[in-house]
Amino acid sequence: MPMFRARFIRRVRALFQAEAIDRELSDEIRLHVELEADELMRTERLTPAEARRRALVAFGGVERYREAHRDVRGVRWVEQRTQDIRYAVRGLRNRPGFTLAVVLTLALGIGANAAMFSIVDRLLFRAPPMMRNPALMHRVVLSTSYRGTVNHDIYLPYARFVDLTRDTHSFSRTALFTEDQLVVGPADNPRQMMVGAVTSGFFGFFDAQPVLGRYFTAAEDAPPQGAPVAVLSYAFWETSYGARADVIGQHLQIHATVYTVIGVAPKGFAGLWPDAPPVAYVPASTRAAEGYPDPKGEPWWTTYHWTWAQSIVERKPGVTVAQANADLSQAYARSYQAELTSSPGRQPITLAQPHATVASILSGRGPAESELAKVATWLGGVAFIVWLIACANVANLLLARALQRRREIAVRQALGASRGRLAAQLLTESTLLALLGGLAGVAIAQWGGALLRTRFLSETTTASVVSDPRTLIYAGVAALVAGLLTGLAPLWQTRRMNLTSDLKSGTREGGFRRSHVRSGLLILQGTLSVVLLVGAGLFVRSLSHVKAVPLGFEPEQVLLVDRNERGTSLDSTHSQALLERLHAAATNIPGVISASRQLTMPFGNGQIAGLTVPGVDSVDKLGKFWLNAVSPSYFATMGTRILQGRGIEAQDAAGAPGAMVVSQAMAKALWPHANAIGQCVHNGSERRPCMYVVGVAENIKAGQFGDDPGLYFYLSAAQFSSDQGGLLVRVHGDPDAMKETVRKALQPLMPGAAYVTVTPVRDIIGEQTQQWQLGALMFVIFGVLALVLAAIGLYSVIAFNVGQRLHELGVRVALGATGSDVVRHVVTGGLQLAIVGVVCGVGLALGLGHWVQPLLFQESSSDPIIFLLVAAVLLVVAALASFIPARRAANVDPMRALREE
Amino acid sequence: MPKNADLLQGTLDLLVLKALLLGPLHGWAISKRLRALSSEVLNVGQGSLYPALYRLEDEEWVSAEWGTSPEGRRAKIYTITPLGRKQLAAERSAWRLFSAAVDQVLHAS
Repeated sequence: MPMFRARFIRRVRALFQAEAIDRELSDEIRLHVELEADELMRTERLTPAEARRRALVAFGGVERYREAHRDVRGVRWVEQRTQDIRYAVRGLRNRPGFTLAVVLTLALGIGANAAMFSIVDRLLFRAPPMMRNPALMHRVVLSTSYRGTVNHDIYLPYARFVDLTRDTHSFSRTALFTEDQLVVGPADNPRQMMVGAVTSGFFGFFDAQPVLGRYFTAAEDAPPQGAPVAVLSYAFWETSYGARADVIGQHLQIHATVYTVIGVAPKGFAGLWPDAPPVAYVPASTRAAEGYPDPKGEPWWTTYHWTWAQSIVERKPGVTVAQANADLSQAYARSYQAELTSSPGRQPITLAQPHATVASILSGRGPAESELAKVATWLGGVAFIVWLIACANVANLLLARALQRRREIAVRQALGASRGRLAAQLLTESTLLALLGGLAGVAIAQWGGALLRTRFLSETTTASVVSDPRTLIYAGVAALVAGLLTGLAPLWQTRRMNLTSDLKSGTREGGFRRSHVRSGLLILQGTLSVVLLVGAGLFVRSLSHVKAVPLGFEPEQVLLVDRNERGTSLDSTHSQALLERLHAAATNIPGVISASRQLTMPFGNGQIAGLTVPGVDSVDKLGKFWLNAVSPSYFATMGTRILQGRGIEAQDAAGAPGAMVVSQAMAKALWPHANAIGQCVHNGSERRPCMYVVGVAENIKAGQFGDDPGLYFYLSAAQFSSDQGGLLVRVHGDPDAMKETVRKALQPLMPGAAYVTVTPVRDIIGEQTQQWQLGALMFVIFGVLALVLAAIGLYSVIAFNVGQRLHELGVRVALGATGSDVVRHVVTGGLQLAIVGVVCGVGLALGLGHWVQPLLFQESSSDPIIFLLVAAVLLVVAALASFIPARRAANVDPMRALREE
Repeated sequence: MPKNADLLQGTLDLLVLKALLLGPLHGWAISKRLRALSSEVLNVGQGSLYPALYRLEDEEWVSAEWGTSPEGRRAKIYTITPLGRKQLAAERSAWRLFSAAVDQVLHAS
């Protein structure tokens, strides 16, 4: 290899020091000629002038050998490429319309791709920053079977993590982690920020030494409650502490705990959350002790009931994934057995079939990936299709242009340009176009990508396209491949060119020849457009189905007010008094229509009740019953209608007989043949007092949009959990604007470090519909993009064909064809291609439908309405795209067309 | 002057390497030695020597250095490299095979 390196260096030197080398050569030649002349003077006794002349003749033309010398040393190659580029630039500048069309087409294709890539890359490919060896790092996924379906779970209880760590030998390290939006900082300026709660081994997965202080130790992260120590992120240290070294030892309140800062993570360290890096890392034990919801029950570190964190492991080198899976599964089985002894109610091990797998460190790769990640992956594929369509389009435009230039190319060939040289020129041109398109595409991705990223990657702090080298490289490769692919099409055409026939005929006759390549490209475009439009249709219909689902309440103008006690532990009496004060204050805020107490929130949190109903056997078999505890104005505030009887009213006070409002579905399920009003229900066993049904409310959706039995009931907040829950507030005008008004009015009532949060209910619901919204939006954008590109492609090809065939069409008109005959003839040609495209596209879309089905909502992936609609749209667009050039052809003056030569 | 033989493509490399086998030479001296060795038969375009020399240098069959010629002039002196010797041996046997084959054809019938 050193030989090649030396040669390479010489080549480069030849390029940049061409003058020096030329000078050296001149010296050598001069010496040669002089010595030869001296010799001739000596041996043949010639005069100096004659000797010099003879020497030069013998040398054989100084300039000629200089050229040959240059050729050998490779200057020629570079000169030719420069020439090609200059030639291509001139050609493109002379046809601004053509250039613009190609560059725009490619820009859209490459831009869509780069934008999607920057997202898909983060979700599926890019390892978290500073991770030591991502190939050996895995997330743990636990799977159990329940009635034939396998459920994957990435969250596990602490006790399980301890079991798995103890009973496996395939891993060099394990760690547990979770993240939370917590209030960080002093009470006067509390802000919700990301905080990572990790076990002490977590930092060992990364090559990241703290820039200041240290990470926490195993002793500081041990049950029962760890130690209140925190490691800050570099960014938070910079913004909140001015990067001062004396931050170590300072106190910082996060949620209810006051932590001591012991270290600062290095710049760029983001744990496993590259898109939303935590501001601080605290011991998992400390956070668990603080957040454990059942402090009176089994300790949090031995219970199997509280699944709250995820686990990562590092495979030992030499241990295969299969071995690791087997090892982990046997440990999980043993752990499951241990769990059964403490809670025998779980499925027996033979039915549950517990097994565990080590999955990619990137959660987007699944299993148990988010719906959003699935949609993003799909859209990545869709963007690739858009790129393909763009390439097909450009290839067609270049083909048409190459045909127009047949004669020019033939002339150049006749003048001695080699085929290689011509090919190089065509490729230079297409590559130049592709690079221009790539540049414009990056601009599009930068602009459009910002919009996308905020939707897919929550609160992203990082990254525009321009500053992300991976996305730039991807865009560059997409551009270059597009350039090569599109350049190949006309190249293939020149290969078949017949020099003499092209020279003899004018562009006219030589130009027109039915091209299978071009037809094929058009059909491909049609096919892919159909697939994308069908996708768009399916998602739009899904979204409209979702939106049409009757929620049973009107979330638009309602705000949810949550309390966060944050360490200020109020006893039941004070908590109830605070809630009553908040309720009263909220009612009096200007702009508030009504306010109500609530205990649970549809699509937010829920509470399941175990009911006993006299006369009804095994109530639990009917499904899960969800409860809420509300104050009298609840139904007006939420907009849920009372269908029968009454709602919760002031008379349902503490001490009064228990009142209950049930949903229609619940009334029907419990008392199918009797009136629900007045029935007795025990909340718990039958030893608890009766609660009497006083009303029936319309059904609501509480947890999911799809099949939901809707067994929901309301108790009086004065009678049940009167010290818990928050408020719902119905407001006039824009809920986003009212949000802050409500918060400011209520915050002064909160004691100590406690605070209130206000969230529009529509945002809570919106999160649930996000996947369909996003799918619909993106598929529509890409689908329309594809359709526009396909239409441009069809139009330009037909327009070009018509242009080339003016002579033939003129003959037809001269022979008696009418204008409408010509139009029909041309449009039929276009439609034929479109029909083939539609047929192929429908077939492909039906085949792919199976895969997209799980992402749809109450929509069949082979919905005939969508397919018919898409086919119609495509055919209409195709007809229009061919009609415009066809009309121009019909208006042609036969005499002029015939005379033109 | 006897009629010059047309140089077969590639054979010039072989001849230059052979000329350098006897010791380092500058450009004109190589051309002179070639003429002497071939009894003045091989005398085509002395200029074609220079691109060939560059190519040989590029292949690392010869190395070049600026020095002083026997005539006391500043000149680029070429030396054959070990790689060049190997190449010469290879080309020589190839040439023998080739010329024997051509001879055989010419002497046939």
